Amino acid sequence: MKHRVGTSLLALGLGLMAGLGAARADFWSDAGAKYKGVTLHGVTESTPPSNYVKDVLAKEFEEKTGIKVEMETTSWDQMYDKAIKDMEAKTGIYDMVYIEQDIIYAYLARNFLVNTSKMLADNPALKAPEYDEKNFTTFADYFKGDDGGLYGVPMEAFIKIYLYRTDLFGDSAIKEAFKQKTGKDLAPAKTHEDYTQIAEFFTQYGKDKGEELWGTTSQAHTGHPASWYEYVESILPTFGVYNWGIDASKNYAASVANGGTMNSDKAKAAMKYLLHLRDIAPPESASSTWTEVATTFAAGRAAQGLVYGENAAWIASDASKSKVVGKVGVALPPLSEGVMADAESGKGYIGYYDGGAFGIPVTSKNQEAALLFLEYIGQNSVQPGWAVAAPRITNTATYDDPQVKEMDGKLGGYYTMLKNDGKLFAGAPKYPFHAQVREAVAPIFYRILTGEVGPDEGVDQMAAAAEAELTNLGYRK
Amino acid sequence: MRSNKVGWLLLAPTIVVLALFGIVPFIYVLYVGFHQWNPFGANPSMIYNGANNFRRLVFDAEFLTAIWYTLKFALFAVLSEVVIGYFLAQLFMREFPGKGFFRTIHTLPLIVAPIVVGSVWRLMTTPSIGVIPYYLRTWFGFDLNIGRDPNAAFILTVIMDIWHWTPLVTLTLLAALVSLPKEPFEQAEIDGASRSQIFWHITLPMIRPAILATVFIRLMDALRTVDEVWMLTGGGPGAATRYIGLHIWKVVFPKTDYGYGSAISLIVLYLTLVMCWLLYVALVAPRRDARKVA
Repeated sequence: MKHRVGTSLLALGLGLMAGLGAARADFWSDAGAKYKGVTLHGVTESTPPSNYVKDVLAKEFEEKTGIKVEMETTSWDQMYDKAIKDMEAKTGIYDMVYIEQDIIYAYLARNFLVNTSKMLADNPALKAPEYDEKNFTTFADYFKGDDGGLYGVPMEAFIKIYLYRTDLFGDSAIKEAFKQKTGKDLAPAKTHEDYTQIAEFFTQYGKDKGEELWGTTSQAHTGHPASWYEYVESILPTFGVYNWGIDASKNYAASVANGGTMNSDKAKAAMKYLLHLRDIAPPESASSTWTEVATTFAAGRAAQGLVYGENAAWIASDASKSKVVGKVGVALPPLSEGVMADAESGKGYIGYYDGGAFGIPVTSKNQEAALLFLEYIGQNSVQPGWAVAAPRITNTATYDDPQVKEMDGKLGGYYTMLKNDGKLFAGAPKYPFHAQVREAVAPIFYRILTGEVGPDEGVDQMAAAAEAELTNLGYRK
Repeated sequence: MRSNKVGWLLLAPTIVVLALFGIVPFIYVLYVGFHQWNPFGANPSMIYNGANNFRRLVFDAEFLTAIWYTLKFALFAVLSEVVIGYFLAQLFMREFPGKGFFRTIHTLPLIVAPIVVGSVWRLMTTPSIGVIPYYLRTWFGFDLNIGRDPNAAFILTVIMDIWHWTPLVTLTLLAALVSLPKEPFEQAEIDGASRSQIFWHITLPMIRPAILATVFIRLMDALRTVDEVWMLTGGGPGAATRYIGLHIWKVVFPKTDYGYGSAISLIVLYLTLVMCWLLYVALVAPRRDARKVA
């Protein structure tokens, strides 16, 4: 009898477990049933992480829920053009839009986005068992509104790192030649002076050897915002100029005269540094955006460079696209004195913590189905494969996955750096006017790049133009 | 009376479409042009500011530079297209081996989308990978770098436009040449007129309407060019190729300065109309007056 009761209890327990397991496994088909036949439309930038969403995650989601996802991947400019026009005109074409970290403040100011935290709290039936906002790294904080709600589910996060060629830096003959020339050991640069010396050395080395090799990459397009971002997000901070040199607490001052730092001596030194590196970089640099910088490095044309982390994986591991597979090392960017201390104390930062999220426009007609999709891509279980395909990590647990650890080795410790030193980097300042100020100031910046205006004079003009635009926009009183 | 009603009825769909997609947006742009409106400003609503946007653009160096470069671009591009197009049309009037093949190849650029044209030219001109810089360096020792040389970038945008649009001019002028009567030319030859006299006194006056129509179309297109140049140079280096269409796009979309962007659009529309009118007066009116006198 006792045995029979025990067996029955065991059977019941197993049955319940199996039942619960089935219910858990069926969450997506159950939740999706209500929206079967719905087609979600999203727009995003064509990048490796977005392409993974389009090619892999969207298809998995469709199989599990019956909800179709059409993800449009396009250029950075077109993506914003389409998303903003749609939300502005309230046409409701898109159910999901890519939100780069620097535009979230503008979108929040315009009430473009749905508060996903509130929506889940209001609709508990939509809550996927595996989805939890607590799973995200602190990068998710950038997508929170003043009410604490999450307005975008992080889909990519990476730091702009200093890549260098381990084969060149480890070559004994090159090391010897470098030591003879500079009196220093050849190692990844810690300061701007070191970086410049290494860049000059390798550019000369390439010339002497008749090789297509230069000392550095340079994202210095003379008509594309990429060069502006290189300056304000990657170079200025390393000289100790933060938040584009604009101080919101001082009536949005940009000029030194009014309390800003956009035309400070440090900013002028940063500009000259950028110009010099551009001059000793490969000739395509004056037409290079973030994409071309990565391809230049992958083609083996530069010994070192600042490269967006999203490109690090394919540069380091995809032999079909990159000539430097297995020859890539990562390091923190070179810094001026005091910048590391600023970053550690939270007063400043050493580079750009880039990334983005998917948000749901308030104009979407399929908000609930879109939220299901965002939960799907926010689960811990889908992250490792995604992180291997494109070097982005948005969930804390991803770091410990064996696949990711293996990839970390191939990337020269990039993920370890993201985990340990990510806190030293920062996203764009919390301004809702990035594009507006950029477009007001960038034409002067481009003229500095072409040499039409000198760097000192040009930087002064940039600060004046920034303040004029901020006044015009009504932020500066 | 009845036929009038039928006429209006038949015209109605066109009028409705024209009103919806032409006149209403124009009135809206006109309305916005008199407002300060940047949705990402501290005050995102529309604020009436009279003629301030129009006053501002008179002193806006970027706008004036963009206008100047656009006029230069339009002048060089359209003039070259008409001259080359005319010579090609004359070439196609004659018989030569492979004429059909050459005519087809020559027309192909017309069916390529401007954005693709820009992309292809960018690939061809990017230093290090582009075929054009490679051969210029190999054959002439000239380093072409459109990211650093404003003149080279400007000239390349003109050449790209010529490559893309000359076939249109050729086809239009070819149609005009084919339709010319033979008698005046035969009479001129009998009278001993030289080739240049025939060109200036017979061919040119007879194809003048076709030239005028082509120049109008190409001029209006050249004044609003965006896609190709955006892909090739992004408007750079500096402002060397930031033509007015691209300038308006940058003011209206990334900068979201809708009021000011609308004001610029209106002024550019006005300038285009004035230029077309001047062209019309210069090329057609004297001929008409001469006829009246005769």
